[in-house]
Amino acid sequence: MFFCFFLFLGTCGLLRVASAQTIYLDITKPSFQRIPIAVPDFKYMTPEQTQLAREMSDLLSNDLNISGVFRPLDRKGFLEDPQLMGLEASEIKFQDWSRQGADFLARCSYQVQGNSIKLDGRLFDVAGRKMVGTPKSYAGELRAWRQIVHAFADDIMMMLTGERGVFDTKIAYVQSVGSAKEIFYCDFDGNNPVQVTRDNSIALSPSWSPDQSQIAFVSYRDGTPKVYGINVFTNSSYLISGFPGMNITPAWRPGRNELAATLTKDGGQDIYLVSPTGQVIRKFGVGFGSSISVSPNWSPDGQKFAYVSNESGNPQIYTFDVTTGQKKRLTFSGNYNTSPAWSPKGDWIAYSGRDNGELNIFIIRPDGSENHALTHEGRNEAPRWSPDGRNIAYSSNKQGGSAIRIMYLNGTGDWQLTRQSGAQELPDWSPRRNRQ
Amino acid sequence: MKSKQSVFLVLMIFAFIAAMSACSQKNVPPPPAYGAPGQEYGAAAGGPMDEAKWRELGINSEAEKREFLDRAQAFVNQDVYFDYDSYTLTEPAKKVLDEKIAFLKRFPKVAVTIEGHCDERGTTEYNIALGERRAHDAQHYILNSNSSNLKLTTVSYGKERPVAVGHDEASWAKNRRAHFVLNY
Repeated sequence: MFFCFFLFLGTCGLLRVASAQTIYLDITKPSFQRIPIAVPDFKYMTPEQTQLAREMSDLLSNDLNISGVFRPLDRKGFLEDPQLMGLEASEIKFQDWSRQGADFLARCSYQVQGNSIKLDGRLFDVAGRKMVGTPKSYAGELRAWRQIVHAFADDIMMMLTGERGVFDTKIAYVQSVGSAKEIFYCDFDGNNPVQVTRDNSIALSPSWSPDQSQIAFVSYRDGTPKVYGINVFTNSSYLISGFPGMNITPAWRPGRNELAATLTKDGGQDIYLVSPTGQVIRKFGVGFGSSISVSPNWSPDGQKFAYVSNESGNPQIYTFDVTTGQKKRLTFSGNYNTSPAWSPKGDWIAYSGRDNGELNIFIIRPDGSENHALTHEGRNEAPRWSPDGRNIAYSSNKQGGSAIRIMYLNGTGDWQLTRQSGAQELPDWSPRRNRQ
Repeated sequence: MKSKQSVFLVLMIFAFIAAMSACSQKNVPPPPAYGAPGQEYGAAAGGPMDEAKWRELGINSEAEKREFLDRAQAFVNQDVYFDYDSYTLTEPAKKVLDEKIAFLKRFPKVAVTIEGHCDERGTTEYNIALGERRAHDAQHYILNSNSSNLKLTTVSYGKERPVAVGHDEASWAKNRRAHFVLNY
């Protein structure tokens, strides 16, 4: 899928200057009301692949729903035949859409020619009876139609919230395969699971590189836990850190070709900065004596990381400032807080905390305030943020065996990402792909 | 001619057997055995013995060999247990380690891997780190006992390889362990 040719013909950059206003929506407030949007079947311009009319509309609706911003309306109530309905503002019956409760309308048409597909999309403000921004056009390989729909969803998000969605991202995770554990990844919506490792060993802790091309992970394939990297395009893997003892919990540093990891190469546990070829760049010195120091997770500017230490007597979350060399304890309630994840927006740190005997996902401000739980049942761990800092992927057994689930950062909209048999755990959400 | 051929054949068979047993186990920590959960893995000693292995261990007489095999079973079968979320060595733990020290003093040339394990309740990554500290502290206790010529390595499996699969304290207690594997 990565090799598919994909061309974006829109004018996204110019759009923000030309549009009437950039609407900023705060979906984190509990009082936020999702915006009703109508997404009729796409109109096919030639009778080729007509089933995509419904499939693409379904995919776009699902994307907009997952974003947390929109509430797609039920198509059953739509009055017009989508194959006869117009495409431009002058042809849209805004009054009808208004009566059906739509605030916005996404109207698309497509044309298939051989192995190519072309998509045109417009977003309409129903009350304002006009188009938002400019028309979008996309062209690419037919088999990449999902990516093309995702691109339009990203652009809708950009036009309305000033920020792209996360519809081209992937989620890596650990899948149990017999008695082994392997690294997999899937699309952000759970489609297209791909197996990455085939070592028939224990693989854990995937961590995406900033350019979405590599996954660092831990494997026991050589007998002891070592950190490896794998190129997701070529599937070739390489050793990153294989020092004697333990090499675990790799975390790729944002914007840099470096990783943090926990090593025991000098006897005690500590967090080190290493290059992808295993050079030790720095020993951070957060551990001492026989303490546990594990699970580093970077702030978005790569200048700090959160980690777990038991130096207080039980595991708690700390933050470490790379510039000043100072560490600071973050969590003070509960006696077992692990698995920190710093939001790419920088404004929250998620973690798994034991509370009344069960593990739940908590979020806390980096200054230690506003600590609260997002989940309340089952066993929930290993939170990881989406690149827009709006969603959290995590492992949960609340509906049977361990699966990856996703929820908004206000705890609502919880849904199950992975549906394969066996157990899935330890997700990591990729960065967005670089476009243009 | 015939008798020479027979001798040759017998020698070939012996050589074959010797070659097969030499191939069965190298002197490195064994990779994890992926049996069903609950199956004690790594418990078996490192394969059938042959003269080469006995020589490596510095064990010569039949009596010594018997003693080794008996005591090796006890050595690998007896785990060191830990309290919840802890890697402190309790008094019972130290007693078990003292017995292991006695074995290692008696047979100082044997190589040992100490595995650290946890029960299922904590989070995955923290448990790897906790298991590592359990194995490390057991190793340290042994090294501090003035034993010499010891080849001790450690590996943590966190909660990935439990021996007991129940969801109760009886099972959890069995999983919070340092497990010793002999490599020869």
